[in-house]
Amino acid sequence: MAESQPYFVEMKGVTKDFPGVRALSSVDFRLRSGGELRGLVGKNGAGKSTLMNVLTGVYPPDAGEIVIQGKSFSRMTTSQAKQMGISYVHQYSQLIPPLSIAENVFCGNLPTTRLGLVDWEEVYRQTQERLGRLGLMIDVRRKVEGLSVAERQIIEIAKALFADARVIILDEATAPLPKHDVDLLFSFVRLQRERGVTFVYISHYLEEIFELCENVTIMRDGNNIGDYPVSELTTAELIRLISGTEVERFHHALPSADSTSILVVRELSRQGAYNRMNMTLRKGEIVGLTGLEGCGKDSFARGLFGLEALGDGEVLLDGKRYRASDPRNALNRGLAYLPRDRHGFGIIGLRSIKENVTLPILSRLTNALGLLSQKKESDLVSKLIKLLDIATPSMAQPVQFLSGGNQQKVVFAKLASVAPKVLLLDEPTQGVDVQAKVEIMRIIDRLSREQNVAIIVISEEIRELLDLCDRILVMFKGTIVAEYHSGDPKMTVERILHAVEGTAQQ
Amino acid sequence: MRANRIVAFILSNLIWFLLVAIVAFFALITRNFLTTANFINILFNASVLGVLVIGQSFTLLTGNFDLSAESTLGLCGLLGIFFITRSGPPLYGSGWMLSPVLSLLIVHAIGLFIGLANGVLITKMRVNNFVVTLAMLITIRGVTLLVNNGQTAYSVSSAYNWLGLGKAGPIPIPVIVFLLLFILGNIIIVSTPFGRELYAIGANRNAALASGVRPEARIIQVYMISGLLAAFAGWMLSARLTNAMSSMGKGMIFEVFAAAVIGGVSLKGGQGSLIGALGGVLLLTTIGAGLNLMNVSVYWIQAIRGLIILIAMIIEAQKMRISTLASAAAPRSKTQVSTG
Amino acid sequence: MTRNKAAMIPLLLDNLIWGLLSATVIVFSMLTNRFLSVDNLTNILVHSAVLGIMVIGQSFTLITGNFDLSAESNLGLIAVLGAFLLTAAGEPSNGSGLMLNPVLTLLVMLATGLLIGEINGLLITRLRMNNFVVTLSMMIIVRGLAFLITQGKTVTNLPASFKVLGHGSLGPFPISVIVVIGGFLLASAITHSTRFGRDLYATGGNREAALASGIDPDKRILQAYLISGGLAALAAWIELGRLGVGATRIGEGMIFEIQAAAVIGGISLFGGRGTMIGALGGVLLLSSINAGLNLMMVSGFAIDMVRGIIILAAMLLDAQKVRYKAPAGAAARSSHPVEMKG
Repeated sequence: MAESQPYFVEMKGVTKDFPGVRALSSVDFRLRSGGELRGLVGKNGAGKSTLMNVLTGVYPPDAGEIVIQGKSFSRMTTSQAKQMGISYVHQYSQLIPPLSIAENVFCGNLPTTRLGLVDWEEVYRQTQERLGRLGLMIDVRRKVEGLSVAERQIIEIAKALFADARVIILDEATAPLPKHDVDLLFSFVRLQRERGVTFVYISHYLEEIFELCENVTIMRDGNNIGDYPVSELTTAELIRLISGTEVERFHHALPSADSTSILVVRELSRQGAYNRMNMTLRKGEIVGLTGLEGCGKDSFARGLFGLEALGDGEVLLDGKRYRASDPRNALNRGLAYLPRDRHGFGIIGLRSIKENVTLPILSRLTNALGLLSQKKESDLVSKLIKLLDIATPSMAQPVQFLSGGNQQKVVFAKLASVAPKVLLLDEPTQGVDVQAKVEIMRIIDRLSREQNVAIIVISEEIRELLDLCDRILVMFKGTIVAEYHSGDPKMTVERILHAVEGTAQQ
Repeated sequence: MRANRIVAFILSNLIWFLLVAIVAFFALITRNFLTTANFINILFNASVLGVLVIGQSFTLLTGNFDLSAESTLGLCGLLGIFFITRSGPPLYGSGWMLSPVLSLLIVHAIGLFIGLANGVLITKMRVNNFVVTLAMLITIRGVTLLVNNGQTAYSVSSAYNWLGLGKAGPIPIPVIVFLLLFILGNIIIVSTPFGRELYAIGANRNAALASGVRPEARIIQVYMISGLLAAFAGWMLSARLTNAMSSMGKGMIFEVFAAAVIGGVSLKGGQGSLIGALGGVLLLTTIGAGLNLMNVSVYWIQAIRGLIILIAMIIEAQKMRISTLASAAAPRSKTQVSTG
Repeated sequence: MTRNKAAMIPLLLDNLIWGLLSATVIVFSMLTNRFLSVDNLTNILVHSAVLGIMVIGQSFTLITGNFDLSAESNLGLIAVLGAFLLTAAGEPSNGSGLMLNPVLTLLVMLATGLLIGEINGLLITRLRMNNFVVTLSMMIIVRGLAFLITQGKTVTNLPASFKVLGHGSLGPFPISVIVVIGGFLLASAITHSTRFGRDLYATGGNREAALASGIDPDKRILQAYLISGGLAALAAWIELGRLGVGATRIGEGMIFEIQAAAVIGGISLFGGRGTMIGALGGVLLLSSINAGLNLMMVSGFAIDMVRGIIILAAMLLDAQKVRYKAPAGAAARSSHPVEMKG
């Protein structure tokens, strides 16, 4: 399978800007011909997905050149990318669930008999044969909806291969998969690699990078830090390359923490999410909770807030038994939650700032007749707008017209209006510009110091957690595996990242 | 800049501008249009539709349809008379001779119960609201046909008929009641926590949930309101006609939607006002009245009504498009709120 | 659950309609001795004809994930339009006076159906309007047009030759029955064995994936609506033959039955699944229940109520079925794990 070019893909000097941020900064990226298993790693926002999106024609680059099989493009379309043999397999499915595997493979391209009717015999036979050549034994008449997620991904990869893809990009393919499914997927991928297919494997799971890949490319802040053979790196080195060094931005003043504990979690377990969680939260304390996607930190927070089931175990809030049946329940007890999915669960875009902020406490803003008091509402809302420095011409402005940072502040204002005892923040600075990030961290700090609110900050930005938290807990596959205290010299980004990846530091 | 503001003002109060334009049009073309008698007549004709629209607006705000309202109107209107009238010709009642008060209590309870059933099926059993209320529409109409074997029931109770035929001076009672209900409904929607929560649920149910709202309870409640008002509208209509055919109300549901949509209540939920819906009701009824005065055939009026509905829907669809484009292009505002 | 039992459930659900139909036939034949008579069975088929043709049309749009609520009004308008063109003016026929040639009339009827389908399709695909809203509005407008044409009167005195489809027989077989069964067989062949048909399923099953596979979902949706409109014309021809007159209210209220038959027969309201033969089963089931209850002298109104309950149950089942068959996310475990060699 000799290719005429040494490199199948060469991206040279690719730059990509989005409003307010430079996602890719003169990036070079090369894939050799003949097949490779290349890992692509980096923190959130480092540019991994953006780079691949440029390669597959989803985004046109602002500068630079893409050369595929010797042909040069300054910008590509998605169909060109497909024609040149580059295929992107996303996390969400591009298959049609009620139809069979075979029909999905041949979708839009069904073979017909001389009469022009669909030749189902051929459809099944060819699909079975082609999948067989890929090493797959599966009944092609089965409906896709009956397949597991791993199987669906394998079929999607197969589909791409049938369209003569030479480079297949897998983006966070294993996030929703249990272990044995990951093995299944990897066996399939390795099999294809032997046939000369190149896979670009984007993942946060470093141990999988070590298990599957031959080489790894590291992205940081929109730059390609380098390509390394995986065999020449230790986990520690890889982590160091990923995290790099950054300028300090904010420092949380260590509080004299009130020694009263406000939240106690004992042996909390929920099957498939987390296992034997134990923690004690004190008034005014800021505790960071970090870990990879799927480690259970989100389920834990949502469970405490009543958005998900909580599982077995005991939780005490302010000394009393606590279990929220729904968010209203949680809010009444004094526990509030800032959702990770701002647009889905955080803001009501169509409605005004005022309506968003007062929603949880409407019953407190009524007059004697039970009707909402204009005065009480506007007084409260303008106070909060001022306190949180929300930039807006008026409180009647629909929230959808605000910037990301200001939208997040509106959610904060809403939570603040409840005057909670415990605050769970899930990725509070996600999707927010740098200026607003600092402001939000200040808000969190103030809440803990001035209002004595106990705060759990869930974040994958370890640097930010270090600046903000008194303690950091690390979760891995459902359990708390490490705890670090502020002031302890062991509380460094690297150590934490190790714990996050589930690898012990020597 | 000023032009933009003027356009925005017109668009958000479009229904009233349209209404004024239509009234002017008819006033020019027909004699007798600009009379008090005509306006009262318009309001009179609008009253039953109006009550239904109030109920429908409550459910629409949460993003849900209640297709069954017209059948609830039919059933409750029939039962109201059925309970209080003697059996056999010429009145064809049940013969139970209940007092009007008791009958009306039962009938409204039935309306509430239908709403409860709708609400529970939709929230707890998670069946699509269109499908549930559609099935209810059919089933309840079937029950209505069953009750009196398709026979029309006649009311000779002046107490019962008062709601439809009574007058306070020159103004018919239905008009007064309808306007009162609108005012009450508007107060609830605009000035109570309950109303606020409805908007939140319709605009983003998940975010509402995460903000402490209980969407399922509210949705059940709005369906009960819709059912209750449909029962009331049934009373109104059957009182006005002094009889209840088993087909009473059939086909009305489309006009209800039309009026709501024309008046700016979004079918997706989370937007719109009861005042706007009132405008929609008045617009449709005025057009009907005007065309009538012009001696336009009933069938033309039907067709034109349908056309108006379609145009209203097209406008709503475009409005959605424009507003999504606008939010994407909106400048990120930097000005501060005035302190103090 | 053992592997065999787990595999049975989807199989059962897919063929549920035949089980239900058999059960219904058995129950009714026990309840009334005239059910299994040739007369009754023929009756069921004849009364299924118009509903059946309409269900075929509706199924085409449903498979793409779209409703055609205007179908009942299309039937009405096309029927009265046809009658109107064929007959003499003034009482008692109430026609146009054009006395148009039947063949020409049929062409006009077909053209009308296709036009309405085109309007529906364009509003939905080009203006991106919600299909429920568009077809609901068209339902009102089109019915209004029907009233406009007839001024509310019934058009009578149709030429006998025209009524052949609804009224005539080929030997012992009523032509309408032949047409509807033929229609279902043809529709089944199209949806199962043509690229066009498979594109419809892809469009309804996952529009983005269909688009990515080179299918034009908008074109297919438009075509589905054209078929629905065109079939309304065929149904109108049969109905005029069956009824003998062009009544302005033809089809009124029928939309619910049409949806119900489709859903009961396995066509999901969510799109992408169900078969034409299944839909035929749904039609037969509803008609059998109708006939059976009639034979048992149950009041017409009770039948309406029973129908409503059946529709509700059918749609509840549809919602549950889709939930069961397509469990999302990580919790999805394969019923038969795949093997790999090498």
